[in-house]
Amino acid sequence: MMYDYFKNMVDGVSQKILQDPDSINAKKKYVLEIAKIGQKLYTRDERIAWCGVTIPFDLLNSMGVTSCFVEFVGAMLSSNETAPIFIKEAEDSGYAPDSCAYHRAVTGAMLKDIMPEPDFVIGSSSPCTAGLAVMEDMARRFKKDFFILNVPQNNSKESVKFLTDQIKEMTRFITAHTQKPLSMEKLGRALEFFNESSLILKDIYNLAKQTPSPVDNKLLKDFGTVIGLIMGTREGVEICQAFKDELIDRIESKKIDPSKEKIRIMWIQNRIQYKFPIEKMLEDFGVKIVVDELNDVTWEPMDPDNPFESIARRIISIPYSLGTNERIAHMQLLAREYKLDGAINPCHWGCRQGTGVRGLTTKGLKDVNVPVLNLEIDCVDSRNLAQGQIETR
Amino acid sequence: MATQKIGFTCAYAPVPIIEAAGFAPFRVFPETDSKDQSGHMLHDNLCPHVKKVLDRALDEDLPELEGMVFINSCDSMRRLSDAWQEARPYDRTILLDLPSSNTDASTDFLASEYKRMLKTLCQWNSVDVSLDNLKSRIDAWNSLAQTLGNIEHAMGHNFYPGLSSQYQKIINLTAMHSVDKAFLKAKEIDLDKMSPQKGHAPIFIFGNLLFDPKVFNLFEDWNMHVIDNDFCTGSRFVNSVDYDASQDLFYSLASSWMMRTPCARTMDIADPGAIAQKIVDRAKSCNAKGVIGFTVKFCDPYLARIPMIREALQQESIPFLMLEGDCTLGSMGQQQTRIEAFTEMLEV
Ligand code: SF4
Ligand code: SF4
Repeated sequence: MMYDYFKNMVDGVSQKILQDPDSINAKKKYVLEIAKIGQKLYTRDERIAWCGVTIPFDLLNSMGVTSCFVEFVGAMLSSNETAPIFIKEAEDSGYAPDSCAYHRAVTGAMLKDIMPEPDFVIGSSSPCTAGLAVMEDMARRFKKDFFILNVPQNNSKESVKFLTDQIKEMTRFITAHTQKPLSMEKLGRALEFFNESSLILKDIYNLAKQTPSPVDNKLLKDFGTVIGLIMGTREGVEICQAFKDELIDRIESKKIDPSKEKIRIMWIQNRIQYKFPIEKMLEDFGVKIVVDELNDVTWEPMDPDNPFESIARRIISIPYSLGTNERIAHMQLLAREYKLDGAINPCHWGCRQGTGVRGLTTKGLKDVNVPVLNLEIDCVDSRNLAQGQIETR
Repeated sequence: MATQKIGFTCAYAPVPIIEAAGFAPFRVFPETDSKDQSGHMLHDNLCPHVKKVLDRALDEDLPELEGMVFINSCDSMRRLSDAWQEARPYDRTILLDLPSSNTDASTDFLASEYKRMLKTLCQWNSVDVSLDNLKSRIDAWNSLAQTLGNIEHAMGHNFYPGLSSQYQKIINLTAMHSVDKAFLKAKEIDLDKMSPQKGHAPIFIFGNLLFDPKVFNLFEDWNMHVIDNDFCTGSRFVNSVDYDASQDLFYSLASSWMMRTPCARTMDIADPGAIAQKIVDRAKSCNAKGVIGFTVKFCDPYLARIPMIREALQQESIPFLMLEGDCTLGSMGQQQTRIEAFTEMLEV
């Protein structure tokens, strides 16, 4: 089922790109590349690793491993409207309805045998405890070896060293399963691509800061999280460049409609994954999502001479990994840079990590005169959606 | 005896370190009449453990504290640490990172965190770090662990009315007063003077928190003999520390805390999901007729593992009852019918 889903997506999007080869097609190229990862995950002779969100995919790619964070599957199932079937399966099997639906969907998919069997599983303590629990369950059910990257919240010398050492250990763990030692040359190339992608990302985000902003409510949806899957590849660089070109083109060709930007807002953490016209609703009100909280380059360039430590520092810098004070400080910085009028926090049900500090986030942004609309919604499970209520709010 | 208190909220904060810095431990239990307001600062779907502790902080329902030690044990706990700084900005706080996997590297890192904890607490108390002090507090802790072990052993073989409640009081004394006081109390228990009784259902109980001694009296009224327990407010709280001169003291502490029966949030990466088998083994080795799990609502580490625990117990045909609560005696009271029905079903 999922293989066909991704294959159809790859075929369909490829065709659309072919029909209009001269356009920039940023979004289509991006969807194509992500769908290709999906397709590979469901292809038998690939080396597959299911991972946590903050695992360094550039490193895994350079070691010949097709890897992805499991929440990606939760999001896919939600976007193709099948998540409720799997969520119900998980709940019927005793998994708590109070937990994050990304994980309930993945667990249900595992129970219904539609998660491809991995070669091994790598969890991470960032972003969340619940994510790590689902990775452990996955390793147990598939009877696969399990590795954990513990991401400390304190950004101290010892913490960086601890994470650096774990990343080194992780490469040995991967080698033990693939029989292929890490090639420093390949890693160096991946990091170069990563750095190149990061530089272009910075340009993209700087363009998005302009008034009026060349983005629209959908263009960079969850971009910062998902692009991490391919940033260490040539395709990643090309896609980042395509997005940058798209924004420049919009600016130069004056395609930006200022009436759609009466209010500039930030979207906190992740978007709603199922079909729900929130972006359109906001657009109709003249509200533009100019930034998603996780769309930022929070790290220094990767140092190919000191690769593991730079990767460790990068992981610790991601807002998910931070303490709330630093995370709020980061949001406040975005508020200034993007000249925000407000923010929306979906308050995804069951997310202790992000939603868990709803009150502190609201206050922190209010301190810089950015009101927050807390939606209280499940971003993955559409079963209890109260559309009318959300429209009113 | 030290009177200045250091608050803490998680069993991964070693009491011997608090005492070695010249402080008294004060575990902030989620037990309060304060009004429910933490949800505004955090969110209502966080576990009641964390929410009630924050309610206490917001309502000043605390003794005077010289500082707080938090452990990054789960998302809810790290969010509590964040919120505490907002609720009581004048408090000194420290957050220790706690690895989730029980590897050598994790133990090394935790050792450095425990070292940081002692250093920080000594700074707060304006005293020098003394390894001799730490050693002597560990020795006291080990004596207490041994005495508690004897009580657990007795509870595992016979049903002594009132003993499980007394045992819980001793653990609470350890957490909220001092190891020495708890030790003296433990020594007062004279098993020879207690007469075992028959007829109660031997049950192994596990979960995150169950700290009110009155709950254990209720259990007895409901025909239950707590033959063994695995709670971070129970048997997991006091564990002996093996150390010898050749080893770094902090490493010994860390390894003892990492290797003891883990809370659901700490994983054995060599055996994912090991918690399920451990619970089965423990239930079998104490000859429990049934197992009851208690967790607080919204606790991801436990709730995520309940299905695997249920499966493992089912495979061994061990009856299992799962209950969720909010840390209050009242919520336990609501479980009476289910617990009584469960113990009856066990046909003791
Ligand atoms: S939404 Fe929250 S709980 Fe769910 S995967 Fe993301 S960080 Fe984890
Ligand atoms: S382990 Fe469970 S009960 Fe304890 S703080 Fe975390 S979520 Fe709450």
